[in-house]
Amino acid sequence: MSRSVWKGPFVDSYVLKKAEAARESGRNEVIKIWSRRSTILPQFVGLTFGVYNGHKHIPVNVSEDMIGQKFGEYSPTRTYYGHAADKKAKRK
Amino acid sequence: MSDLICVGAISGSFGVRGEVRLKSFCAIPEDIETYSPLSDEAGETSYSLTLTRAIKNGFAARLGGVETKEQADAARGLRLFARRDQLPSLPDDEYYHADLIGLEVFDTGGNLLGRVKSVMNHGAADLLEIHGPGLKTTVLLPFTLAIVPTVDLVQGRIVADPPDGLF
Repeated sequence: MSRSVWKGPFVDSYVLKKAEAARESGRNEVIKIWSRRSTILPQFVGLTFGVYNGHKHIPVNVSEDMIGQKFGEYSPTRTYYGHAADKKAKRK
Repeated sequence: MSDLICVGAISGSFGVRGEVRLKSFCAIPEDIETYSPLSDEAGETSYSLTLTRAIKNGFAARLGGVETKEQADAARGLRLFARRDQLPSLPDDEYYHADLIGLEVFDTGGNLLGRVKSVMNHGAADLLEIHGPGLKTTVLLPFTLAIVPTVDLVQGRIVADPPDGLF
């Protein structure tokens, strides 16, 4: 069952405070968070979060199309390398 | 940067008519056929490749020089390689993982941070996994224009401006 709309999206309060502080300081830094369950809000766009995966903080650059997802979705807890083959990486 | 890139592997025989089970490592699995002829790890033996159908966990395929089930069984574990120059050229700011892996990473002051171990993508931006001499564990660096302003494949180096708290 989905979450009631009247409650609004869930975000751990410390994530909001850290994001606000980072935005005000204007420094280029990784905001380390442990809250994988927090929802990505519009005010997080453009910030870089280090989302803990139980081992280390995975850098997540928040973009507009990530709004509404949870931070944990971008920080997998299992390692799989696979083969490079013809896979491509794009600088954005 | 190696000249040969592993694009697939033979996982066994398929049927009794000399077809093989093929695992493709390509971004679009069917693309492995476009890189034919492929070679073995040493680059000495060349194999033509034709995909016949999609099966569970890969493809059934015909491999040049493999005509019987016994030969297909013997080919199990064979890794297939394409030459780097067979891959199509890419637009600016797009790179093959195989080209990035192994490059040295320097900060804007010219200090060596480490070497690219792998390239990952977990749904957000691409990430460079960097392994350095002074690092206890690997560090993940977002592959963005702001953080990685320079990629020089000719000199084999990347210049990065990592955000505070990464290294």
